[in-house]
Amino acid sequence: MRSLPALLILAVAIAVPIAFGGNSYVMGLMVSALIVAGVALAWALLGNLGGMVSFGHAAFFGVGAYTSAILSAKFGLPVPLALLAGACGAALCSVAMLPALRLSGPYFALAILAYAHIFKILATEATSITGGSAGFQRFPPLPTIMGLDLSSRIGSYCLLVVLVALCAAIYLAVKRSHVGTALRAMAESEDATRVVGVNATLLKAWMLLLSAFITGLFGAMNAHIINFLEPDYAFSASWSILPIIAAIFGGYRTILGPVAGAALIYLFDQIIAKELLPVGHEILLGVLLAGMILIAPNGLFGMFQRKTTKGAAHAAA
Amino acid sequence: MLRLEDVTVRFGGLTALKDVSFAMGAGEILGLVGPNGAGKTTLFNTISGLVRPKTGRILFAEREISRLPLHARARLGLGRTFQIPQPMHHLTVRENLTVAQVFGAGKADTARVDEILEVMELGQHAERNAATELALQELKRLEIAKALATDPKLLLLDEVLAGLESKAKRRFVDKLRELHERYKLAIVIVEHDIETISTLCSRAVVLNFGQMIADGTPAEVFRNPAVVESYTGAADA
Repeated sequence: MRSLPALLILAVAIAVPIAFGGNSYVMGLMVSALIVAGVALAWALLGNLGGMVSFGHAAFFGVGAYTSAILSAKFGLPVPLALLAGACGAALCSVAMLPALRLSGPYFALAILAYAHIFKILATEATSITGGSAGFQRFPPLPTIMGLDLSSRIGSYCLLVVLVALCAAIYLAVKRSHVGTALRAMAESEDATRVVGVNATLLKAWMLLLSAFITGLFGAMNAHIINFLEPDYAFSASWSILPIIAAIFGGYRTILGPVAGAALIYLFDQIIAKELLPVGHEILLGVLLAGMILIAPNGLFGMFQRKTTKGAAHAAA
Repeated sequence: MLRLEDVTVRFGGLTALKDVSFAMGAGEILGLVGPNGAGKTTLFNTISGLVRPKTGRILFAEREISRLPLHARARLGLGRTFQIPQPMHHLTVRENLTVAQVFGAGKADTARVDEILEVMELGQHAERNAATELALQELKRLEIAKALATDPKLLLLDEVLAGLESKAKRRFVDKLRELHERYKLAIVIVEHDIETISTLCSRAVVLNFGQMIADGTPAEVFRNPAVVESYTGAADA
């Protein structure tokens, strides 16, 4: 019963290319939804395990995108290695944010927001490297591996499904480890964990690095899929806000919640909200999120988990 | 084992500890006594690393630890309990001990966790949520169990007997003796009850207004006029 949601998501992930493989528009939407899902997963990892709320994941997304694009275009690094370098670049940029770990709650969130803005300005001003606000293009697309053209819609989709699944598996492994157990305790009892030898700051730093790494990876993937970058797009606040909405809607304390939330929220926004309100359609996302918080503060999967737990308790009684 | 040299702690204009110096050996049980507000918990916080001294040095196992963070002191073998029990939230009793063992002692030994659960009479509560499903006495035992899981050489016990009725208190004192023997621990215990200090401790240190006013056997310090005055407000009371 507990693995039912995972099986359901897997079934949908397999069914989509079978049903819509020939529809470029739908596959394009799914690719974008998976990018948001990856970032939402990274954001939820930091929030759930690290106990930190970030408004600045756009910084990691943008740095990952630019690092990968520049290294592959200007230094000829093969795209798979450039993707990895993009993720490492984002993790490296998170090192600059480590002093913010001394802050908590809204102060940390605001500090990260400020950092994100700094990186956006850097990308705009460093015109010789990034092309500045004129944008940066002509960098290699995703390669063809074992006959599958990863730059095609269906190829990108398959690669992203694998990457999201891999990141979810890493998240699960961390959550189930002793580190995950200590992090779970730290959120509400930091002194109690520190006094038994837990280096709280170090564990939080690792979570920030891991979250930045994953976000950077998806930023880099997105860059090679759309083959164009400019600071306003790569560091757009949407890359911070949309994953937050997706994670909270799906249930940020669960692993599958942010993934399902991203797919639902993104598809709702692009297919329904845009149809109803061509201008200002994001308002409907706000309404949807507010409704979900009021009805189920733990999100869609949090609500599902609670019901299955109650069901199991009744069955055991 | 533990040596404090002229330790002074200030909170803004308030001097919470002033030039406190004492040393204790391995395996010793030391009572730390004094009226409310004397600075006992501040001293524990300073030794364990929650509070940094303004001046002075703290040495533990021949190593200066005055500037070491809390977690690093725990890993050196300095275990402590809190006056108000602080279980790790969202975790079961067993998980509390496992986290303490993995991060404090640097090992994952299920048999040892089981042993500590048994010794601290928490076996039947092992899978309960530590923060929400334990009674006060069980929480106090969990405080000690967590500290034991870090393989401490020195245990700082902050009023673990407070709130217990006399029979339960005697049982708890016997338990502390058992732990002292079994794990070869040095113990510093903050306690108000003179009888408990006299029966459990070989030595007592008395604080008043942040200053050390007596150091000796329990019989000696409780006869000391300065100690009597600190508790009663009059030397001849």
